[in-house]
Amino acid sequence: MPEYKGLKMPAKASVEDMRRIHIEPVPDDQKVEKAIQYLDEMRKKFRSFVLAMESCVKCGLCAENCHTYLGTRDPNNIPTNRAELIRKIYRRYFTLEGRWFGKLVGAEDLNLDIIEQWYSYFYQCNECRRCAHVCPFGIDTCEVTMIGRQILHWLGIVPKLHADVGAAMERTGNHTGLTKPAIVDTLEFLSEEIKDEFGVDVEFPVDKEGADIMYVPSSADFLLNPYTLMGAGMFFTYIGANWTIPSTITEAGNFGLLFDQQHTMRHNFTRLLHAAQKLGVKKIVWGECGHGWRAWKMYLPGMADLPIRWPITHIHDEVAYYIRTNQLKLDPNKIGRPVTLHDPCNYVRACGMAETLRTVIRACVADFREMYPNKENNFCCGGGSAILFDDPEMYQLRIKFSQKKAEQVRATGVGRDGNGILCAPCSICKAQLYPMVEEHQLGVEVKGLIDLVGMALVWK
Amino acid sequence: MTYFIAQILPYITVTVFIIGVIYRLWRWAASRIVHNITLSPFPQTKTEVAAIYLREIVLFNNVFKFDRPLWVGAWPMHIALLNVIGGHVVGFYFLGKQFVYLGASEALSTYLSNLLGTVFGIILLAGLLYLLYRRIAIDKVRQVSNPSDYLMLLLLISIVSLGNFMRLVPEYGMHYEPVREYFTTLILFQPAAIPEGNPFFILHLLLAQILIMILPFSKLMHLFGMFGMRWIENRIYKEPAPGLPNVDVAAARARGTGLSSVSGSDVA
Ligand code: HEM
Ligand code: SF4
Ligand code: SF4
Ligand code: SF4
Repeated sequence: MPEYKGLKMPAKASVEDMRRIHIEPVPDDQKVEKAIQYLDEMRKKFRSFVLAMESCVKCGLCAENCHTYLGTRDPNNIPTNRAELIRKIYRRYFTLEGRWFGKLVGAEDLNLDIIEQWYSYFYQCNECRRCAHVCPFGIDTCEVTMIGRQILHWLGIVPKLHADVGAAMERTGNHTGLTKPAIVDTLEFLSEEIKDEFGVDVEFPVDKEGADIMYVPSSADFLLNPYTLMGAGMFFTYIGANWTIPSTITEAGNFGLLFDQQHTMRHNFTRLLHAAQKLGVKKIVWGECGHGWRAWKMYLPGMADLPIRWPITHIHDEVAYYIRTNQLKLDPNKIGRPVTLHDPCNYVRACGMAETLRTVIRACVADFREMYPNKENNFCCGGGSAILFDDPEMYQLRIKFSQKKAEQVRATGVGRDGNGILCAPCSICKAQLYPMVEEHQLGVEVKGLIDLVGMALVWK
Repeated sequence: MTYFIAQILPYITVTVFIIGVIYRLWRWAASRIVHNITLSPFPQTKTEVAAIYLREIVLFNNVFKFDRPLWVGAWPMHIALLNVIGGHVVGFYFLGKQFVYLGASEALSTYLSNLLGTVFGIILLAGLLYLLYRRIAIDKVRQVSNPSDYLMLLLLISIVSLGNFMRLVPEYGMHYEPVREYFTTLILFQPAAIPEGNPFFILHLLLAQILIMILPFSKLMHLFGMFGMRWIENRIYKEPAPGLPNVDVAAARARGTGLSSVSGSDVA
């Protein structure tokens, strides 16, 4: 773990790592100049960014509404102060008041220390947008974080985790670097598991040309969240769908959103459109992944280089539709354990899915307990934007960032007997919460939502 | 000096204000909405979108919901500010007799005008002092403050205190008529000397002009920024319709998809 003047920061990608994702790191003596140039480009482009720079009143309302500040009490984790790390530079170089009055209005020259601060604090932001949701004006600090990370990326400063995932995406079309043989193998294995556990025959067709539906799962489901993938397979089999999983883009997520919204993000967008065309599908259905769904749903239309000829929907919305129309037979009593739901921020604040999640979960479990605050007001799990770092100090931060979540889960009482379920229908939430429920000793098991659908389906 | 403040500066103030605001708005307009960053709550109709704007502007709904102690100061302060600004325009124009149009007698109207001016002036001052207190005393607010944030509040407090002082201490009070005369001459580009040579009025006028000149270059632009931000975020977003192609669940269940030919499976 690199040390820089007491700042906490994740391990950085090496020069070779950066070259693999097509970035030549900028030498230290040019970093400041380049950063200002990139900042100038970004501010001329993004209105959301300019408004965040120019209309904050410093009321401090966002402070107690950001779980990273609540967990650490580090002033730089107050959303407006996180933004201020760039804002003071922005003022200095791009506003009259900053040029004339300097420190008085909080303007500062850029230097290498501040760039390292950017790296530290923009990678302590979960991009959960709770700050935007609560701000009287809707100022979106997530936009500032994203632009900060983009500039850092162009300078050659990216966490190793993110850079490696970026490289894997380009190589294989998924984050975990799964090749087609590995994908097919795992799916066959999952078919056997389903047979053993649920007694039904589920086939996972891979790259099936002429399928009607292309299902794009999160690649993490292959290794970490098998029940999510099994649940999806059971759902599609149950409704008799002609579906397939593409091996060229087996990834519901898109790390491009999190560190490089240009090249990296667009690369996987293009893969998706190519795959859909090649397989001749009619509709694309998205798997469980919060940031991924936001990227594909909200960002794809503005970034695709090709016409988008396929409606893209989320599997939760599809399941909810079949539940609302009474076409799925689900037995909520099969899962006899108390369940609470963690609303993934990207679903509820960026994609409007709060009611969908409830339609599905209420149909699948008998003892469902809301946590508070919930829906759009929910707090992030602390893993958002994949700051899932394992370096010891960063890991400690993850525990602090999930403190608010732990309090919320505890208050529901689902873990009192040690057999609760914490439904967290997002790959990153799951990756964060698997270890965190242990750290905070919550007495719950983390599960996806489609997992529960699979378990509750009544076949006969 | 008085000549400058009263007869020259107003024209500079107005020019700086107008050009400044246009410059800032132009900068905002020149950048684009690059991605769809729709944010909760997800309104489904234009009426719902309008309702979001309204409840944030009129009630400060978010502030109320997520930071009640801030709301207690900020909302009354803004309402009072709006009324004080409105009062300056209407009160001077109608010489305090605006309520006559609502059926009041002239005397009652003047009385009401004075009363409202005093009440809102005091609420405004109290609100500002409370916000200043917050900024100094509460860690999280102090930690986000720049020197200019305090100066802005101090400037506002000075202007409002001077205003209240003139209203409450009759020896230094200003009458509506001479002030209206003065503003009329300003508007006609034949600025007359400041009436009654009241030093408190001159200072009040100077500081108010400084505030107006600073506005386009300060965080007070939030009154426009709010519309800009919400315009980006609070939009109608429609999903593609759910329902999968060539899927007939009833037929699939009748066929028994997934149920193996091997009977006796342990499906519950
Ligand atoms: C449209 C809805 C508006 C909202 C939601 C809003 C909200 C706020 C908030 C939260 C503050 C921070 C208070 C603090 O200092 O802690 C503030 C300050 C202020 N606002 Fe507004 N505002 C709005 C419109 C306006 C308008 C129209 C004006 C002017 C005519 C105005 C003038 C001010 C002033 C003078 C301050 C004090 C600045 C300071 O703290 O230094 N606001 N506003
Ligand atoms: S809530 Fe909004 S206006 Fe207030 S300090 Fe935070 S970002 Fe600034
Ligand atoms: S996006 Fe989330 S983590 Fe980042 S500053 Fe806002 S509230 Fe905090
Ligand atoms: S990881 Fe989950 S909770 Fe956290 S930002 Fe993503 S969607 Fe939100």
